[in-house]
Amino acid sequence: MSGPGELTLTSIVLFTLGAYGIAAGAASGEQSVVAVGVFAFALFVLGIIWPIVMLSGVTVEAWAPADATVGEHHDVHVRLHGRVARVELRLLDPVGPWWVTASPADGVITRVAARRGVFSTIRIELRTSAPLGVFVRVRTLRVALRTELSVAPRPVATEAFSSANAPRLHELPLDGSLSAAPNTGPGDSVRAVRPYLPGDSARLVHWPTSARRGTLVVREHEPPVVVGVALVVDLDGTADEAELIASRAAGLGRATLAAGGAVWCCTCEAGRPISARVVDQRELGRRLARAGAGPVGTPPPGWPVVAVHA
Amino acid sequence: MKPWESGSPWRVVAVPVAVALGAVGAIAARRAQIPMALGALAGATAALLGVFALPSLSTRRVVVVLLGLGGLGALRHASFVASDTSLLLVCWALATLVALLLVDRTGAEEVQPLPRGTPLAGRTGEIARLAVATTVMVAVAVVALGPTLTDHLGRHVWPGLDPSTGDQVNAPSSLMATNSLDMTQQPRLSDRVVFAVDAPRASFWRGEVFDVWNGHAWSRSGPDPAALAHDGDTSQLFPATDDIGATEGQTMRQTFHFESGYSNIVFAAPSPVSVETDREVDERYDGTLSVGDAFGSGAAYTVTSRSVLATAATLRAADAQPDPSSVLERFAQPPQTTPRVRALARSVTASAPTTYDKILALEAWLGAHVRYSITAPVAPKGVDVVDDFLFRSRLGWCEQVASSLVVMARSVGIPARLATGFVPGSRDPLTGQFIVRERDAHAWTEIYFPGVGWQQFDPTASVPLAGDATSGGSWLQAARHHAIEFGLLALALVVAVIGAPDALGWLRRRRARRRAGWAAHGLARLERAGRRAGRARAPAETPREYAAALAAHLDDARLRAVGDALDADGFSRTGLSASARAAADAVLSSL
Repeated sequence: MSGPGELTLTSIVLFTLGAYGIAAGAASGEQSVVAVGVFAFALFVLGIIWPIVMLSGVTVEAWAPADATVGEHHDVHVRLHGRVARVELRLLDPVGPWWVTASPADGVITRVAARRGVFSTIRIELRTSAPLGVFVRVRTLRVALRTELSVAPRPVATEAFSSANAPRLHELPLDGSLSAAPNTGPGDSVRAVRPYLPGDSARLVHWPTSARRGTLVVREHEPPVVVGVALVVDLDGTADEAELIASRAAGLGRATLAAGGAVWCCTCEAGRPISARVVDQRELGRRLARAGAGPVGTPPPGWPVVAVHA
Repeated sequence: MKPWESGSPWRVVAVPVAVALGAVGAIAARRAQIPMALGALAGATAALLGVFALPSLSTRRVVVVLLGLGGLGALRHASFVASDTSLLLVCWALATLVALLLVDRTGAEEVQPLPRGTPLAGRTGEIARLAVATTVMVAVAVVALGPTLTDHLGRHVWPGLDPSTGDQVNAPSSLMATNSLDMTQQPRLSDRVVFAVDAPRASFWRGEVFDVWNGHAWSRSGPDPAALAHDGDTSQLFPATDDIGATEGQTMRQTFHFESGYSNIVFAAPSPVSVETDREVDERYDGTLSVGDAFGSGAAYTVTSRSVLATAATLRAADAQPDPSSVLERFAQPPQTTPRVRALARSVTASAPTTYDKILALEAWLGAHVRYSITAPVAPKGVDVVDDFLFRSRLGWCEQVASSLVVMARSVGIPARLATGFVPGSRDPLTGQFIVRERDAHAWTEIYFPGVGWQQFDPTASVPLAGDATSGGSWLQAARHHAIEFGLLALALVVAVIGAPDALGWLRRRRARRRAGWAAHGLARLERAGRRAGRARAPAETPREYAAALAAHLDDARLRAVGDALDADGFSRTGLSASARAAADAVLSSL
């Protein structure tokens, strides 16, 4: 895919000089003026042909890491083939800054992932106006990446899923792979009592012990228990809504995983409902990168379900 | 980065821009008749101010606009100057080319270099290579297209500006038709360009002819000029019967481009046979032309002339035929002069067998006895000018010299007349145009040869006969005539310039391979010797370290030098000398 390029102010100047030189030289009979007119025209033509010819021989290879997250930096390696004294290039989607190099060349461009998704190609724009700056030849190349690039949604900061009523991980009816999951205790049950301090809620006073000791004591509870959660990611809605849903799902999933919980992801990928557990953040990112609108997978029975939707 | 900031690459751009606009200023100054250095200085200063003193504008844009405006100015002034501005235009063109290359390169340098990418080639080398390659390619285009375009698009007839009264008053006498040429007035001779002529070869640009001499002034006999009938812009002449060149000679087409503000003489190489102009043309009986509405600056007209290209042999052979009686009656009558002038002419030509030899003898005598001086005192009133010049002052300019030859030729019965006009002028090396100035105004002699016609002789200087004039040519014409050689040379230059870095790299790699080859071979020999001695080389050991270890193991200090040699040959830029290699080889062979 390629665009034609654009003429510059220099081209207008040279064209004007060429036309005027030939016209004035022909009118006055001054061959030197005609020669200058031809000189300007020749520069004009040369300035257009040269960059077109130079850029036509350039091919580009590109590769990137397999995973990235929206809003975060990742490197794109580019390799230019073909001999050009000077070429500028930039990445599109999103449009990045221009970089200049001679070709052949190997280089690394750092960019910020802009869109969630799985990308097998990348768009690179090449341009050069060398040597005269008459014509900026622009070529837009769609380059196949060596490996697919999965761009996960940018996670929304959130707390891990927890519920006192939720079943503990070891109680979840999974396929046995969760046997290593920690037993974190009985949820918000009373762990101990301590003397009353000003500011403690009266509802926390443990009256039987207070009566027995003759002084006020209050209950101390166990911290909330992080358990497994099945994320039902329904991306139906507008594009902005879908990205927001994916970000919320990513935030919740990451936080749950980070807190030691398990995450089951129910999505629609490539038009088919998918329901499977994810074991780490990378896999969660890839699943969400692939997710799209459509029928989502069914969560496993017994898992606490969090439906993320518009 | 702005040009005034320290280390800004735009500073360099200012140099060719200043040169380009300096050339424009010089061209403009030439047109305005002021010192060219002043114009060049003004142009360069304007360029530097434009580049450095417009902080709110993009420097690239400013430079391009300056170059464009300068180019338009150069072309406009050069169109009217009609003089030798070609070299200045070439200077402007080259400076503009370099400036454009530098502007584009500098613009690219403002872009961030690709991380871990290949750095751009050095600026000086790249600009030099591109400048040469571009110049060669553009030169090919100019050579191929320039003359063709001029031929097809050039206006051979152009009215130009109407002369003003001031133009007429300021015009030199050499551009004003007259019936009488007074020999007691000094001509005005300056460097001002009068006209430029597109012509394939040099010639006298004849304006007027005089045949009646009264001792102090020339006039002409014959009827009044007759208006020529014209078909469109073209008028055909009716040459006199004695003008053999006009009927039998070779054709030459010339286009005159006037720079001077006034001229009512139609200059032409002898003998004109047709003239293309928008003016009404009058023809005299002698074949010279004039116009009622004078030419002004910018006017152009084209004349086709014919002339017999005579050689000395044909002129000597011409005496075999008799002179026509009409020629003898009008041009060979004894002139009004003193007896001693006639006696001098007879004595000088006494031993010359032919008319041609007599003229050569008279020219030789003049060359030996008179001196040219534009500031020579004019003859006193009432005195025969030729007699005074030949016997008293012997100092004069072309009019005295040519008049003397005419008078002396007629004294011995040779048909002769005085012609005035301009010498060919200087030839523009680029375009091949003849640039004619006021100081090129001239007077010469025309001698009639039976069967050949009128031939020009210039006793004032060693100007060759018109028929012997070499055709010469401009750079463009010469390049076109040698198109194959020029094309091959251009191709070779482009290939050399573009391929130079590759060739250089290949040579360096080859040299590096050669060096690595000896070092690798030497290291292999060292390792073999070490293995035999029970001390193999460890993978992490450099050649120098291994040689030092082996020197200690074998108790042979010479091996340290071998290690140094291997390192030096493998990693130094220049490699190892042949003697050092031989020394190391000798040590390795002894192990």
